[in-house]
Amino acid sequence: MKTTTKLIVELDHIRKVYRSKQTFFRSDQKKIIALECLSMKIKRGEILGLVGESGSGKTTIGRLIVKLENPDTGKIYLDDKDISLLKRNSLKNFRSRLQMIFQDPYQSLNPQLSVFDTVVEPLIIHKIGDSTSRQKQVNQSLELVDLKPPADFLDSYPHQLSGGQRQRVAIARAIVLKPEFIVADEPTSMLDATVQLQIFDILLELKNKLNITILFITHSITAARYLCDRIAVIYRGHLMEQGPAQDVMTNPKHPYTKALIDAHPKFGYANKKQYKTLLKTQREPVNGECCPFFIRCEIAKMGVCDIKTPELKKKHNHHSVACFFS
Amino acid sequence: MVTNTSDSMAGALDMLPKKRQKISAFNEKWLIFKENFIGRAGLILLSLFALMALLSFIPPLIDPMYHPMTGVDPKISCSVGPSIHHWLGTDFIGRDILSQLLAGAKIAFMVGISSAFISIVLGTSIGMIAGYFGRYIDAILMRLADIIMVMPTLLVVLIFSSLFGQLNIWTIVLVIALFRWPGVSRVIRAQTLTLKQRPFIEAAKLAGASPIRIILRHIMPNVLPLSLLYMTFRVSSAIIIEAALAFLGFGDPSSVSWGMMLQWVWKTGHMFQAPYWLLPPGICISLITLSFYMVGRAMDEVLDPRLRKEDD
Repeated sequence: MKTTTKLIVELDHIRKVYRSKQTFFRSDQKKIIALECLSMKIKRGEILGLVGESGSGKTTIGRLIVKLENPDTGKIYLDDKDISLLKRNSLKNFRSRLQMIFQDPYQSLNPQLSVFDTVVEPLIIHKIGDSTSRQKQVNQSLELVDLKPPADFLDSYPHQLSGGQRQRVAIARAIVLKPEFIVADEPTSMLDATVQLQIFDILLELKNKLNITILFITHSITAARYLCDRIAVIYRGHLMEQGPAQDVMTNPKHPYTKALIDAHPKFGYANKKQYKTLLKTQREPVNGECCPFFIRCEIAKMGVCDIKTPELKKKHNHHSVACFFS
Repeated sequence: MVTNTSDSMAGALDMLPKKRQKISAFNEKWLIFKENFIGRAGLILLSLFALMALLSFIPPLIDPMYHPMTGVDPKISCSVGPSIHHWLGTDFIGRDILSQLLAGAKIAFMVGISSAFISIVLGTSIGMIAGYFGRYIDAILMRLADIIMVMPTLLVVLIFSSLFGQLNIWTIVLVIALFRWPGVSRVIRAQTLTLKQRPFIEAAKLAGASPIRIILRHIMPNVLPLSLLYMTFRVSSAIIIEAALAFLGFGDPSSVSWGMMLQWVWKTGHMFQAPYWLLPPGICISLITLSFYMVGRAMDEVLDPRLRKEDD
């Protein structure tokens, strides 16, 4: 029991604020709060879906975990080790354990490097194997992402590949080091529907074959449902709801989750089964403490939601919600 | 019938993956360049000059009197127009102008390409370092670039040569190079700043790449076309600066450059008496700078698709 639910990554009260640059003529700083006291746990071997709208801070979480950026306050643990303390060699070791797949496959590959050079680079950096074993490993990971036969692709350049093929090359680069954890930052948002499904299947295969833990960041709650074991819903840097994917989809507790499910087009029964939790006109924002979703929430009550921030409370069966009315 | 079609089908299927053209990014650009009229004209002109530079080794072999610097026709002691022995005539002490012109091409290429190359290497590396590391490194390097950029190159070289006497040709090359990098480094820095934000740089960071590796492996190949473009422009400016210096009498007296020839014409008072002596080096200087400029223009169009014409 203990081994199956072992944590791999833990976020502890993370806060991240982006500030606009202070210039000589303008001393007022614009602050954008990306994450506000967010705590989250990711179990080894699962696919956790991180769902939220644009600007909700979901990409920021991914970038913080792989240490492309550092949190303002709070700690991130990988296997109970604080990652902010990593220096040089241990950082390099850390890099080989965590990888990321980026959103835009047209930007995430160096246009001047061939597929082989792109995929083999992590192996060269970490000085793994000699040229023949590297060749073999590159072929293996290209086959894992369904670029078959690999020999056809090794010498191609990114501009000769389609979007789906590029994204697969990016995935191949991420898995060539055999990482334990991959952050997939909206890997399919730039691809068309059929290719999306192929990418999902590749990710599922990675989880099953290589036992890689995946943090799947997406704005589409149905994509998360298809792929993920657990879903976490995030809004304006606050964790709103998290729980098993099935549970969150069929029995959503938080009005924001319900609104996300509503937002997805349905066939046949368009108006019948809607939760209708999103306000048509937004409320006036409240100064001071309040529920982050207050201004857009249909079911919010004055005197409750506009004076306190709800905490994440466990409801049942690992399903927890941050709402007073759930 | 059936076997026939299946055969051709199999043949077509076989063709597809194998005949896949492996066009690298460079080859593709070369194909566009070849289609460009200005680029072709520039390249043809340039190859003519390169041929001149190569041929400059031949005249001294035929007869020592054709040596551009020391060879003197024993029968001639003043400037004479074209003849069978001297196709472009001789200068004031009977040296052959054609062999001087050929030697001048060699010097022009040497000065132009080597000083452009040094300034490009300097400018590209400084630009990439400033752009990638940012903060105070950027501030220091860019202020240094500003300081050098506002200094008039010609004037500084003149002051140098009046301080240290006659300058060696390689010293001139070096000084030109040292004063021409800031423009390049500004452009390269700007390009690096945009590249730095691209996810493939972040992907390389995640793979554990060191800053040096990221600069050399990921940024440099992407800014190199741009620095090559600037190199062609720098070549023509270096040739002009060297010619101007030589014409003003501050060139290397032991080398025969086109600017030097112009200075001899002017100093000996043959400016308007000997067009056969005045015109060839003047035309050569104009044409070689023009041809480098044309090649640069064509490269510019290859690199920036917005400059390409719609209807070709």
